[in-house]
Amino acid sequence: MIQLYNVCKAFQRDQYALKDVTLSVDKGEFVYLTGPSGAGKTTLLKLLYCAERPTRGQILVNGRNITRYGVSRIPYLRRNIGIIFQDFKLLNRRTVYENVAFPLEVQGRKRFEISKKVYQTLKNVGLEHRLNHLPLQLSGGEQQRVAVARALVVDPLVLLADEPTGNLDPEVTLDIMELFKSANARGTTIIMATHDRSLIRQFPRRVVSLDSGSLAMDDLPLFRGQAETTGQPR
Amino acid sequence: MILRGGYFFRRALRNMQQSPVLSMASIGTIAVALALLAFFAIAVLNVQQLTASWGESLAIVAYLDEVPEDKVVKGWISDIEQYPEVDKVDFISREKAFERFRKRLGDDAELVEGLGPEVLPASLEISLADKWQNEIAMTGVVERLRVDHRFTDLQYGQGWLEKLEAFLLLLRISGAALGGFLVFAALVIVANTIKLTLYARQDELEAMTMVGATSLFIKLPFLVEGTLQGLFGGLAALGLSFMVFEIVLQKSLGSLLLITGIDTIHFLPVVWQVMLIVGGGLIGLLGSLFALRKFVRFVSQ
Repeated sequence: MIQLYNVCKAFQRDQYALKDVTLSVDKGEFVYLTGPSGAGKTTLLKLLYCAERPTRGQILVNGRNITRYGVSRIPYLRRNIGIIFQDFKLLNRRTVYENVAFPLEVQGRKRFEISKKVYQTLKNVGLEHRLNHLPLQLSGGEQQRVAVARALVVDPLVLLADEPTGNLDPEVTLDIMELFKSANARGTTIIMATHDRSLIRQFPRRVVSLDSGSLAMDDLPLFRGQAETTGQPR
Repeated sequence: MILRGGYFFRRALRNMQQSPVLSMASIGTIAVALALLAFFAIAVLNVQQLTASWGESLAIVAYLDEVPEDKVVKGWISDIEQYPEVDKVDFISREKAFERFRKRLGDDAELVEGLGPEVLPASLEISLADKWQNEIAMTGVVERLRVDHRFTDLQYGQGWLEKLEAFLLLLRISGAALGGFLVFAALVIVANTIKLTLYARQDELEAMTMVGATSLFIKLPFLVEGTLQGLFGGLAALGLSFMVFEIVLQKSLGSLLLITGIDTIHFLPVVWQVMLIVGGGLIGLLGSLFALRKFVRFVSQ
């Protein structure tokens, strides 16, 4: 589903945010992206939805080389990718319903179809009773659930989450993780950037670790019966 | 995209409801700029009309040293009326000229007490048709009359006509220049006001790009919003200029204007009123286009 080949990203000359990263994520996989602050997690995610362009290397998403995608093609790539941020990035002047409906409106879906789909998705995240509220009238956990609903409403092939539980308390974090798990069970490939070790222990999945822009570890949990491959990209 | 026009229209109205202060700022800016333009247009149109009427009253006067018999005068009149440029020829007898002079003196009419009509010459007043009311046509007619030798003393306000034409030209040029400047200023202000709106919604625009909204999808509601604000601004300008026209120009300045020879002043013709509203819409649309030109690309990167 996602392949990176010798990807480098430099924001300034000789100052690399990512160095020679080669990585492959299969369809339906759940991958944690970890590492200390400044390791390059966010940069890697941004490269996947073309908010940044690699300085070198190639990136494939769903079999398409997005490395040199033109500005006009980026929106169509993003329609297949759900993106979730630590700070939610909701449309604060639109209701919960309008926020979740927006990606479908962008795709030109019919009104009837939109309302049906939005209601169903909001029900899945337990917010069907908050349809007409504005995001700022909700708690942080609820806002993040709206963001998850917005990302999932289009049935994305890939879900990219950048520290989605960073601002949430442990109980709400578990709720969000359950939502990710069920999306993953339905076949959505998930890459989640986090440095929450306890969360990774609680929901063990493949862990890709970055350090100073380089791939430091690509680790599969032992309980899945696979050998640890510390230090080596897969 | 056409079928989704309703969506963009609703979105634009919703945006305006949600940012009433910024919307009012845009509408107000356009209204003030267009109202200034409307006032200037009212002034230019009325002055043009006034000067045109002055131009119409210009005539060639052929003074007669001796007054010939009626039959001869009628012959001269019919000869001159043959000229294609000439509309009509009036014979002004010494008596009529004297009477006119007395009337024009008004309260000072006593100055001519004891004098008779013989002090003034009789004359022929030659009026040109509307389309020949210009310097070249008048000079042409005067030259032909001079060749005739029957008329030696000819007056036609030579310098005055030239100045009047130059004044009208200056008025048109300065009107166009000031109008252009005002429209440009309104455009810049509107573009900046809309840019402020965009900065206030930067996060929102960024979020839109993250879910795959194309640049056009993000821009259209803003373009519709700008156009609507422009149309409202144009309407407000029309209302404002009409109010000022009614209250200030018609009532307060009415008597003052009468002294300068202006009987009635006119408001903008209907075509101009429509142009003012449509122009407002165009300013709003162009202002949003300028503001959006680089902005959406910037947030989508």
